[in-house]
Amino acid sequence: MLQQFFYRERGLFLQSLHPGVALFYIGTLLVLTLLFAHPLYLMEILLVTVITVQAAGGLAAWEGYMKPALAMVFVIMLLNPFLAQVGTTVIWHAPEPVPGRLTVTLEAVCYGAAMGMRLLDIISIFCLYNLMVNPDRLLGLFSRFASKSVLVVSLATRLFPVMAATMNNIREVQQLRGVDFKSGSVKERFAKYTAMFNILLVSSLENSLELAEAMHARAFGSGSRSSYRRECLRPRDLLCLGGAFFSLGTAVYVQVSGLGAYTYYPQLDPLVNGAAAVLVLLVVLAGLLLPAGLSWGWMHWPYLKSRI
Amino acid sequence: MDALALFKIENLTYFYPETEKPALQEINLTVEEGEFLLVTGGSGSGKSSLGRALAGLLPDFYGGKIGGRIFLSGRDIRDTDRRSLAGQVGMVFQDPEKQLVMTGVEAEIAFGLENLGLTQPEMFRRVGEVVSFLGFGPLKQELTANLSGGQKQKLALASVLAMQPGALILDEPTSQLDPVAAEEFFNLVKRLNEELNVTIVLIEQRLERCFHLADRVAVLEDGRIVRSGAAGEVAVWQVKNGFPFVPPVAGLFAHLDFPVVPLTVKEGRRLLQEHFHIRGDAPGAGVGRFRPVRTRREEAAGNPGDKKTGPVAEVKNVWFTYPNGREVLHGVSLKVRAGEFTAVLGENAAGKTTLLKHLAGLLKPGRGKVLVHGKDTGRTSPQEMARTVGYLSQNPNDYLFQDTVAQELNFSLVNLGLSDDGRTDRLLKKLKLARYRQTNPRDLSSGERQRVALASVLAAGPRLLLLDEPTRGLDYRLKSELGGLLRDCAAEGIAVVLVTHDVEFAAEYAERVVILFDGRVACDGTGQAVLAESMFYAPQVGRLFRGTGYGVLTFREAVAKLQERS
Repeated sequence: MLQQFFYRERGLFLQSLHPGVALFYIGTLLVLTLLFAHPLYLMEILLVTVITVQAAGGLAAWEGYMKPALAMVFVIMLLNPFLAQVGTTVIWHAPEPVPGRLTVTLEAVCYGAAMGMRLLDIISIFCLYNLMVNPDRLLGLFSRFASKSVLVVSLATRLFPVMAATMNNIREVQQLRGVDFKSGSVKERFAKYTAMFNILLVSSLENSLELAEAMHARAFGSGSRSSYRRECLRPRDLLCLGGAFFSLGTAVYVQVSGLGAYTYYPQLDPLVNGAAAVLVLLVVLAGLLLPAGLSWGWMHWPYLKSRI
Repeated sequence: MDALALFKIENLTYFYPETEKPALQEINLTVEEGEFLLVTGGSGSGKSSLGRALAGLLPDFYGGKIGGRIFLSGRDIRDTDRRSLAGQVGMVFQDPEKQLVMTGVEAEIAFGLENLGLTQPEMFRRVGEVVSFLGFGPLKQELTANLSGGQKQKLALASVLAMQPGALILDEPTSQLDPVAAEEFFNLVKRLNEELNVTIVLIEQRLERCFHLADRVAVLEDGRIVRSGAAGEVAVWQVKNGFPFVPPVAGLFAHLDFPVVPLTVKEGRRLLQEHFHIRGDAPGAGVGRFRPVRTRREEAAGNPGDKKTGPVAEVKNVWFTYPNGREVLHGVSLKVRAGEFTAVLGENAAGKTTLLKHLAGLLKPGRGKVLVHGKDTGRTSPQEMARTVGYLSQNPNDYLFQDTVAQELNFSLVNLGLSDDGRTDRLLKKLKLARYRQTNPRDLSSGERQRVALASVLAAGPRLLLLDEPTRGLDYRLKSELGGLLRDCAAEGIAVVLVTHDVEFAAEYAERVVILFDGRVACDGTGQAVLAESMFYAPQVGRLFRGTGYGVLTFREAVAKLQERS
């Protein structure tokens, strides 16, 4: 059940991208989400993310993310109008007996909705990250700069499932020695769990000495290390990188020039502010959709597949 | 100095830090280039220490006091810098889980190369070579966590081989592997030795699969090399001097004072024909005639050696699927009676441990029922089960957390509300642990730790004793001690069920053998009936006599039979 929330190698186009490029693309989506308050841009990013999630075969996983996310969005939308007593277009007055002057304004409702949309964007981008980026390959990317820290993270990742399995064994053994983890006062239960962690800790310490020995035998710590790389940049990476750069550049221009600005208070700006605004919106969209488009072409067009 | 000597050890004595007893004493040994040296001996005999010394880990990694000298290609190993040493001598350890570092296969192979500071093109070339030599191609993108035990150990070997050492030290590399994976690993080692002239120092106590591969065998006892020489000669010497580190077939002929000792079943069978006129095609002796699954009538008639008592445990048509969807048990039925010693054999993932956990009440059947002492385990908590069922898991360390051995036993008693009616003393004495009463169990050797774990399980007075792979990592002596103990338990009326890959152990001690295949009972009967005529599950002596109609399985039976004939 939880499997769908973790990265799984499925040989997809999007998973074959250079991890640095994939990270840049996802970073671009995230930056744009935080940069823009314009509802159309926020919607656009959600659209791009969902299309790319679909290209990464992760719609089912995305739905899993959306269930709690929608609940949170609902809460934000509900609370914001009551907490933000700004805006000029009042759509509801609280009845007389309520003290103070509680009102709900159209602006506050729209702002709440936009912030909810931003939250959906961020969660969807996180979902896409889990579908696209192999954490090990990403880690490998950093090993040139921080090899020891990367090694520690790698070891921890490798040993985590081993420790979880050991923990399960210890629990079973303890149960069959008469330990009932479900009974007793909080203090008693605490003592039972402490004993279990104690065994795990002592065993892990013993194991770590053996691991250190094996690493020592493989010349670890014998001098400066080099770093093994397998990643290479292919045309697909350059295309996706170019697309993301293009969108990011355009978006920054749009933001600086004021084309993408949008204010909610005291009164809502018009949603579409001229043909130029629509055009840049489409330009940003095109750059961001490139990976999903290439993914489609990669699956259906052998010629393209061989070229990128 | 011998021009071909790769290692030359002179008067090596070594003490681990804070110990007064030397781990190695006055060792003198020469290992020639391209030689295959097998080092054997009991637990704590100094085998692993010798391996560590050859790999330059003593005293470099462990500290301690060292005397004498080790030369590697004519140069004192202590004057050789670590980088160059790691490039010349590689070491593979017992447990693959405790030597792999990276999350991915390719990164793991490159780990040692990174430590040597090699350039990217050089690393890429070496990784590529090792991957193709060991056939790791399909797995190169795999996560290490997804590999089987055998594959993990092969990966550990690959990552050492990538460093292109001229010598490999292998410290019980197959002790955690099942027989098939172990066989495959040894074949690989043999290939490295024969095709690439890699010098091999193999430290091993599971000798059936590797004794014949060695050019020379060295036996260690109390930190000294007590004998070293050709395999056959060392086998004869050991039998005469009461050492048990001999594979059964070699031991059998050495015991019978044969001038030439066979190292393989093939050679042994030829000797049987020549000297005893025993042939494998005796009339009426069907080859590979497995006794089928027991029929209902047989089931009703009871088990071999039936003590005419009701079953202690009954598995009734049990089906089980893990939450990940893997269906492991497919309609298993089994009755276990008091005083019966049953061994469950089978390939990896055949469902052996799953079956054992059902008997322990740790897993509940999806369909079917498991009754232990008439209680349905599906409706009984593991804590409740603990009153009648004892369970010894694969790793005795999972048990040990108290400050003393006595407290460890007491823990089980207190939990179950039992009083110590002198049973702690009795058990400690019986399991030869009395002198460790006040010792911290973590300070004991692996064999002793296992006995403490077993004692703490037996302290609760179980009527059904379940053991998962109890012979892993035990030497011949410890195994026979364990076998004796379990036999005593059975004689006291405890039903003993153990899951094992160790066919030799099952043949020697179990009166009943069940073979599982793909979650079903493939064969169930007396050890004699199941193992003697089996092609693949037969112990070495059983293979020697397979098809002769003698039904011989164990060393003792074979000696008796052959002495009768001569």
